Amino acid sequence: MADQPLDRELKKGSAELLILSLVEARPRHGYEISKLIEQRSQGTLRYQVASLYPSLYRLEARGWIQGRWVEKQGQRRRRFYRITPDGRKILALQRQGWQQFAEAIRRITGIEFA
Amino acid sequence: MPDWKQIVRGRLAGLTLDGARESEIVDELAQHLEDRCQALRSSGIPEAQATRQAIDELTGGERLAEELRKIRRPPPAEPMGIPRNRGGIMTGFIPDLRVALRNMRTKLSFTLMVTGMLALGIAGNAAIFSIFNSLFLRSLPFAEPAQLIDLDETAPKWNLKYVGVSNPDFFVWRKNNATFDGMAFFTQDSFNLSDRGNVQRVLGGNVTYDLLPVLGLKPVLGRNFLPEEDRPGGAKVVMLGYNLWQRMFQGDRNILGRVLQLDDESYTVVGVLPREAVLPDRADLWTPLAVDGDPKNSNGWYLSGIGRLKHGVSMDQARADLLRVHKNMIQQGQKVNEITSPVLTDLRERYLGDFRSVSHILLGGVAVVLLIACVNITALMLVRGSARARELAIRTAIGASRNRIIRQLLTENVVLALAGGIVGILLGAAALRAMISLMPPNTLPSWIVFSMDARFALFCVAITGAAALLSGMAPALQASRIDTRSALQDAGVRTTLSRGRRFTLASLVVFEISLALILSIGAGLLVQAFRKVLSVDPGFRPENVLVYSVNLPTHKYKKPEERVNFFENLANRMRALPGVKSAGVTSAPPLGGHWGNFWEAEGAKPLGPNDKNPVVLQIVATPGYFDAIGMTFLAGRPFRDDEADLKYTRSAVVNETFAKYYWPGQSPIGKHIRYQGNTGAWVTVVGLVRDEKHYGLDQDMKPSVIIPLRGFPRSGMSIVMRTAMEPESLVAPARNVLREIDADLPMFAVRTMTERLGQSIWARRAYSWLFAVFAGVAVILAAAGIYGVVSYAVSQRTQEIGIRMALGAQPRQVLGQTLGAGMIVVSIGVIVGLAGSLAAVRLLQSLLFGVSPRDPLIFGAVILGVAAVGLLANFIPARRAASVDPMHALHFE
Repeated sequence: MADQPLDRELKKGSAELLILSLVEARPRHGYEISKLIEQRSQGTLRYQVASLYPSLYRLEARGWIQGRWVEKQGQRRRRFYRITPDGRKILALQRQGWQQFAEAIRRITGIEFA
Repeated sequence: MPDWKQIVRGRLAGLTLDGARESEIVDELAQHLEDRCQALRSSGIPEAQATRQAIDELTGGERLAEELRKIRRPPPAEPMGIPRNRGGIMTGFIPDLRVALRNMRTKLSFTLMVTGMLALGIAGNAAIFSIFNSLFLRSLPFAEPAQLIDLDETAPKWNLKYVGVSNPDFFVWRKNNATFDGMAFFTQDSFNLSDRGNVQRVLGGNVTYDLLPVLGLKPVLGRNFLPEEDRPGGAKVVMLGYNLWQRMFQGDRNILGRVLQLDDESYTVVGVLPREAVLPDRADLWTPLAVDGDPKNSNGWYLSGIGRLKHGVSMDQARADLLRVHKNMIQQGQKVNEITSPVLTDLRERYLGDFRSVSHILLGGVAVVLLIACVNITALMLVRGSARARELAIRTAIGASRNRIIRQLLTENVVLALAGGIVGILLGAAALRAMISLMPPNTLPSWIVFSMDARFALFCVAITGAAALLSGMAPALQASRIDTRSALQDAGVRTTLSRGRRFTLASLVVFEISLALILSIGAGLLVQAFRKVLSVDPGFRPENVLVYSVNLPTHKYKKPEERVNFFENLANRMRALPGVKSAGVTSAPPLGGHWGNFWEAEGAKPLGPNDKNPVVLQIVATPGYFDAIGMTFLAGRPFRDDEADLKYTRSAVVNETFAKYYWPGQSPIGKHIRYQGNTGAWVTVVGLVRDEKHYGLDQDMKPSVIIPLRGFPRSGMSIVMRTAMEPESLVAPARNVLREIDADLPMFAVRTMTERLGQSIWARRAYSWLFAVFAGVAVILAAAGIYGVVSYAVSQRTQEIGIRMALGAQPRQVLGQTLGAGMIVVSIGVIVGLAGSLAAVRLLQSLLFGVSPRDPLIFGAVILGVAAVGLLANFIPARRAASVDPMHALHFE
């Protein structure tokens, strides 16, 4: 995919990249994911429930992440999503794609990224 | 705290996903909102506001619902304790297996029953297939065996299917054919082999020099025969069979050039045959045939032939080619070729063709047994499936899909089938060993080896898999169609069976009964035929008769008188042994082979070219033979010693078939016969004996003439002794006497007549009883099936029966009703089976030995028997139904 021109997925697919990045290190549940997106983007990015969960389910259907109910003592059960080996591959590709995209934008607009 | 689930559900109205999926999503979103609310509150926002804010985040509920519907999430597996399938075939299998094993353990009696039934079915199939495989599927031990064809001649006019190939014919065939790469001929022979004081009787072959190359084989040591050795007067050379080489010479590689004595003649060893050189059957050595093709030197029809077809030539083309060659000989003056004509047969078919239809029938029989076992298991599983409805409904409710459930159930079946398969194959192997050990020696060509090979393994795997699918698919489909809600509601309650399921179960029972009936009728007919064969009058008394053979080397016993004297002396010495009642000598005891000739009767009109001219079995004997073998004289008397000498034979004895053919309705005594075309003296018929079943109890008898040894002094004869004690106990004394007369003569083919007779009907005995065993197993399986299904139906109806009885129904009425319903199913099964039997018995016709394939006695007995078994299998659960205590039954809830 890296050799292909930037595809359509890239433009609308930022949610996928974000979710995969967040579950890369360890499994997380939906609320935690939405909270982290908001926190780490310092409020710039916010996902509505109505768009976050369909994204999660779509990724799951593709086999990139895997959800699993986990019960911890004294808490209600939550569904944790972990990245699958397929998901890792996709994440690597998408990261590369985004970097190329960002690089392209920078060259055109002259904006320097720190 | 608000009920988040309720809120989510409200917002997602119209989501219309399947139940399990929906409840999962609701759970997850509710948790999200709760977390969100919690976070807002801990940041200091009052509860009411936090709640509202959280709920607001669920805006766009319709869009959410729409988005969610688009995504097919794989069914969650966790509730069943099974991780999701990640795409690999095995990933879902291991957990399925674990669940299956757990289910098998908890339902041990069910598991054992299913495994046992499958094992029974598979064992029979494994054993019979192994036999079939060894007989018909494994390739012959020659190079490119498909190109090899058996060559023979047939003579319908003589009433003989195979007469053998004559030497003039084979020379011309070999020279003039255009369709064979090679053609070789051989005949069986036997020798007294002596080497440095060690004497033994060995079977051998006289073969044309090219037999080994035609078979595509090479000597393991030394060389093949040379064409010049295969001519009259050629060098006396011998090739040793591999087994003899090992047995007698310990595989000595210096054997080449050694001189052995065969029938007191010196033969030089030129080679050792490979193990695969199995023609003629059981031959321990080969010598050159050494004949020529001159019609004047014809030895009659006596050779077996084998041809290697040219590549691309079909059997029909080869047949037409040989026929052309053969017919051309007629034009060149070989008139006798009008009677015989070449016949080509597939090699294996020639040696084993008799076993083919029997093998097919037995294979069919075991297949039916396995089918019944599978049907039985299907019924059991359906019954169990109903009992498992609640379990499956719960699984469905927590998200197991239909495919998932089918897979789980199929896995269980595969595991059950595997267990049944393994036990069955072990059982089958044991049964095979038992059958082989019961097989008398020399009934099959020695190159037939019963062993298990890759094809057998493949068959076992295939049949086990088929059993798993057959018995598992229907219950799995049915169980997966469970209506979750009603199953969950009903699960605690015992209800009557649904109409559809009742019909399915009844159909299975009908199927089982009809199959069992068909098998039983087949078995009844075969056993009846076997009994009929046993009751055939053999025409002699086989009890307490010992037979052995002696062959006189013609070099030592050159003069005919010497041979006559030897055998008469031997018979007298045998008669003098204590325990011997009578003794005689014959060229062919019953079941002892055929020597044919053509005879004519005085006064009978000469045969036209198209008249049948049946070959006559000609037996040479001493007068004592008739008494020793126990023949029955219907008229006249045995010939006397003084009625024949080398120049003139005055009298002969004929059998019933001979008398009927030549003088229908008249007494043969005093009539005259002679060799056909012989202008010499006539022989007077002095006695008429009952047909001695020379070729086997179930075989037709040919016309037969018994003539005195003094007129026809042969060198190879059998000694027949009737004893007053166990015939086996006389083997050693007889051998001592023979050694006293001539120490160099081995005694061979030592057998009691009962043994010979038993061996001749061994195959029929074996397949008849095998089939009966299959039928027995089938009936037992069917009975178990009926019992299982009816028991289940009764247990499901306990409540209903209880209500009826509370309302005044009598136990007798309940019994009658249950039994009646069951017997209707049995009756339908019997009718279907009867129709099937009428069609199926036609396959057996060739084996029935005159028993009608619609024998009313067998049909009646089997129908009654199967119905009785059906009644019993219905009666036990019906009685249980009648003894239902209404109070107890109604308390069930």
